[in-house]
Amino acid sequence: MNSNSAAENLQVIRTLMERSSLYRRALAPITLFAGGIGLLTGIVALLLHVEKLRVFSALWLGVAAITVAGAFLLARRQSMKDQEPFWSPPTRRVTQALMPPLTIGLLFGVLGMTTATAQETADLVLPIAWMLCYGCALHAAGFFVPRGIRLLGWFFILCALGTFCLLFRPDSPSNAATANMVMGVFFGIVHLVYGTYLHFTEKRKDVA
Amino acid sequence: MSLEPSLQLDRVIHEKGRLAIMSLLAAAPKLSFTEVRDTLSMTDGNVTTHIRTLQEAGYVSVTNSFEGSRPLTTCALTESGRKAFATYINLLEQIVQRAKP
Repeated sequence: MNSNSAAENLQVIRTLMERSSLYRRALAPITLFAGGIGLLTGIVALLLHVEKLRVFSALWLGVAAITVAGAFLLARRQSMKDQEPFWSPPTRRVTQALMPPLTIGLLFGVLGMTTATAQETADLVLPIAWMLCYGCALHAAGFFVPRGIRLLGWFFILCALGTFCLLFRPDSPSNAATANMVMGVFFGIVHLVYGTYLHFTEKRKDVA
Repeated sequence: MSLEPSLQLDRVIHEKGRLAIMSLLAAAPKLSFTEVRDTLSMTDGNVTTHIRTLQEAGYVSVTNSFEGSRPLTTCALTESGRKAFATYINLLEQIVQRAKP
């Protein structure tokens, strides 16, 4: 064997090892869980007229915290079922990729909670910022996940930019009700649709 | 006197299909038969043959179980498989290093 073949073999080994270390937990249950909570919260927020920016920020930050905790529990359950370590290198990589944009989103929410006056009402600014952060987080995590998460990330980013354009219309629908609706649609319905798609398309595995 | 690294390469691993399977298994605690087959775009027969060869060499362990009513076959590298794979990579690196001016 010459050195070129050896180098090629090493490259093939590296590529295959990387492919093997992709995050392999089923994403459908996690996405459906996130979508269910998002849609439910959107409906409840609309029905209860959650309008104050402080309450709006606290409510959706709380929902985000519950969703993240639930996602980790679902992933942990899967790894226990597969008798694999939960905090595996792929899980670590995905978490590290998600962290920076999600931290910025958390910061926006905390700012909304702490700097708004008691009378200030929510508008589309915070949902747009959160959609952008979330889109960037999904896109970054998508490099370690085999499914179309990166496309979903782009979808969130483009929708955030589209919603941003609405702010400049003379009859801008930027109010608390629209903000809750946007959150419910994007963090609820979009996740439910994507989760349903994953549910029916994720490969049934492990049959020999 | 030590042999040329290329002459020391493990013949069991030094085959395209088996090397690919060993590479996949080296980066994961275990993989299902289907994951190996789909990731490498191999046929069932090919994967079965290669895994049997690796199993006979003591490099891969195969576990058969059930997930509900569905048969579940998982493969993992054994300790000697990991050692053999590490040795194989070291030899490849030596071959590359030797060619460098």
